[in-house]
Amino acid sequence: MTTVVSLSAEAIADRVRDARTRGARLRIAGAGTWLDAGRPVGSSEELSLAAHTGITEYTPGDLTLTARAGTTLREIRDAVSPHGQWLALDPFGSDEGTLGATIATASAGPLATRFGTPRDLALGLEFVSGRGATVRGGGRVVKNVAGFDLTRLLTGSWGTLGVITEATVRLHARPEADVTLAVSPSDDRIDVGGVRAALKRWPFVPLACEVVNDSLGRELGLGGEAVVFRLGGNSESVAEQRRAIAELAGGPAREVDPSVWRSLRAADDDATLVLRVSRAPAEVSAAWADATALTAPFASARVSASPARGIVRCATQAVGASIEQYASTLAGLRSRIVAERAPVHLWNAPPLARAADPLQSRIRDAFDPQRILNPGILGERAVS
Amino acid sequence: MTSSRGALAPASPPPAIDRSLADRLAAIVGDKRVLFRPSELLTYASDALPSYHKQPGLAVFPGTRDEVVAVVRELARSNVPFVPRGAGTGLSGGALADGAVLVGLNRLTRVIAVDPENLTATVEPGVVNAALSRAVAPHGLHYAPDPSSQAACTIGGNVAENAGGPHCLKYGVTTNHILAITALLPNGEIVSLGSASGETDGYDMVGCFVGSEGCFGIALDITVRLTRNPEAVRTILADFLSLDAAARAVTSIVATGIIPAALEMIDQATIRAVEASIYAAGYPTDAAAALLIEVDGADAGLERDVATIESICNSSGARTVRVARDEAERARLWQGRKKAFGAMGRISSHLVVQDAVVPRTKLPEVLDKVRRIGEDLRLRVANVFHAGDGNLHPNIAYDANDPDESARVQTAMHAIMRACVDAGGTITGEHGIGIDKLQYMDLIFSPDSLAAMCSLRDVFDPDRRSNPGKVVPMHSCREWHGARSARQDAAKGPPVA
Repeated sequence: MTTVVSLSAEAIADRVRDARTRGARLRIAGAGTWLDAGRPVGSSEELSLAAHTGITEYTPGDLTLTARAGTTLREIRDAVSPHGQWLALDPFGSDEGTLGATIATASAGPLATRFGTPRDLALGLEFVSGRGATVRGGGRVVKNVAGFDLTRLLTGSWGTLGVITEATVRLHARPEADVTLAVSPSDDRIDVGGVRAALKRWPFVPLACEVVNDSLGRELGLGGEAVVFRLGGNSESVAEQRRAIAELAGGPAREVDPSVWRSLRAADDDATLVLRVSRAPAEVSAAWADATALTAPFASARVSASPARGIVRCATQAVGASIEQYASTLAGLRSRIVAERAPVHLWNAPPLARAADPLQSRIRDAFDPQRILNPGILGERAVS
Repeated sequence: MTSSRGALAPASPPPAIDRSLADRLAAIVGDKRVLFRPSELLTYASDALPSYHKQPGLAVFPGTRDEVVAVVRELARSNVPFVPRGAGTGLSGGALADGAVLVGLNRLTRVIAVDPENLTATVEPGVVNAALSRAVAPHGLHYAPDPSSQAACTIGGNVAENAGGPHCLKYGVTTNHILAITALLPNGEIVSLGSASGETDGYDMVGCFVGSEGCFGIALDITVRLTRNPEAVRTILADFLSLDAAARAVTSIVATGIIPAALEMIDQATIRAVEASIYAAGYPTDAAAALLIEVDGADAGLERDVATIESICNSSGARTVRVARDEAERARLWQGRKKAFGAMGRISSHLVVQDAVVPRTKLPEVLDKVRRIGEDLRLRVANVFHAGDGNLHPNIAYDANDPDESARVQTAMHAIMRACVDAGGTITGEHGIGIDKLQYMDLIFSPDSLAAMCSLRDVFDPDRRSNPGKVVPMHSCREWHGARSARQDAAKGPPVA
């Protein structure tokens, strides 16, 4: 059963309270573009916020925006871009995803290199807890230390502490210049660690910098392995950034169409296994090597790295017997692994099966004692 | 998980803090590190907010991590409430221990590790903010959050308060710079929050702990993100003949996409106090307001940003705009700003500093309201604040020995808070709730929101022994009824925040 809530935050609260009374378990959904992400959810009903849309407050001069959770990133983009602003969040997938889901999953994309993740951009939230109470954390201003930080707690909690109904986010002014460049390696292998070292050395921070492997590079029309930079700032600054990149590349980098970012974000839509492999940024080459080992059985695996953040993302069609091999490789890695999508039996095997952290379980119990919200999505045990 | 007790915290009456407890703690830390006599404890009866005096029952100063753990476990065994304290520079009464045990962490000053490759450092909680930046300076790095008290305040205290500072406009506040924490829960359990390398699954436990004002336990060690020193810095002083023009310049600058490293406003009352003090910075004393604007980053393109800012200031009605020619002039301009509260001390015996945030576009309107509140109550309200964030610090110099003036100050503080909340703002941007702002929590949070915060606190500290009575008003800490109270809220309308 799917309920599309279209009325109000109060209607959502009623819906949660009703489910609680009946002992029903809810799958919280936004636009439904990413429901295959996260662990399998043992729910009996879906609670969709797709119709709970609309920007409720936007004063361009404040560089903040408040919107209902079901508002898509595209709607926000359309509203703020006439004012030369943007919400600098480009999570993998597309702009058809909702603000609520992006914050609930703390999903970030290439722009996190410069602007951080939803944890840095969400200023305040309204949510309905698993107890059915309507709670607000944070506020509508860019700086706020009133009370405990419920906004941070809820961001990335995958709907397990509350159904986010509204969020206030920080916006940024669009830079005067915004240029996308691609560099292909002169020899046959990209030095991810070398890119990271350059990023650390340079006096500027690009808007985004992603290293893509051969199959992803081909799919993006880059011909193979490549480093893709997105540079922002005033024109003098961007000219200097281009010069630094040319020096790294041993020749001028080629300017590519900015649509490459949209394609990159959408490239793994059909993948059944999406993992993020991470280490400290200085060890990003080791994370890249781990990701390469993981994807070795799959010719078409798509791998991209954010060298500044030490995160490598790999996406494959994990099928057939090779899954077991995959699981054993996973278990032997030193990198940290966060899975976005995986086949059911992989979720149940180490290291993706997560031992419940007692402190986090207690937080869950404080906000959703009957565990009716997205039960199982964080690998927690069900309440017996 | 929510405990079912009623309105009072801590749950049971605190047992006597007696000689025997002092002896047990002295056995851990040594006799000299336990203060028990009222005369010795007087020093710890206030933090940097002078309007409260609450004497601790006892103060203990562990010197090592093991001693901290042993002390907290002894306090847990004895069921004694305690208050963690860093340097005591807080401005909300957050570190006051009313009859509880004060646990001073200022002796834990070890920088445990610096990792210049990964731009991180791991420190003990008593490391002084500015000392950390000095320690990593040889690597061309610094720790970005820079509260005005940075020469004294500790990283542990910064974590507890989610401290800000002028440069947080561009670089973010404390929570944006903390990667991992080893925390000692009030029951003596040690937990590891976040990750110094790579991503973690699950809740943002670091984000949850930062800003918990000592109510969730003690940070035993803290891994912070370090920031590279910028290649170039330019500091600009622009002065205006009206506050309104200066406030409009602020909005226009931010709208260009330039994110200044800092964007501070200093009003006439503050300028005059600064210029009459040893911190004289060369601010024009006849200006209604001055903006101290700093841009930093790569050298390339920075002059363009400076030119853009100069031009915006001029078109917003600036009388003069000048760029600091050298490091000495830059330091002088900043000294005036950072020591402004010290300079105000010359004017009267006492100074109260308020902390609130409003949407940036509401600055002109709110500043005008603040001015009128001061006039109506015959008080000298001065403003020196983080204009780029909309983070106001109205401050009033007064004589606390004059009961009439003190009462008017309190009235003004309430009125200013109300004006900021009415403008869509919040009651604290960086100083925290402590005890001073408890009275305003109901202005911005509904009973259910406060109850949610209480139940979060109970996860970390079910006995409510760590920094009792702070952050969330006690009357909110009831059983979280959820459904019933949510309906009551709906009847009352949405919360203000």
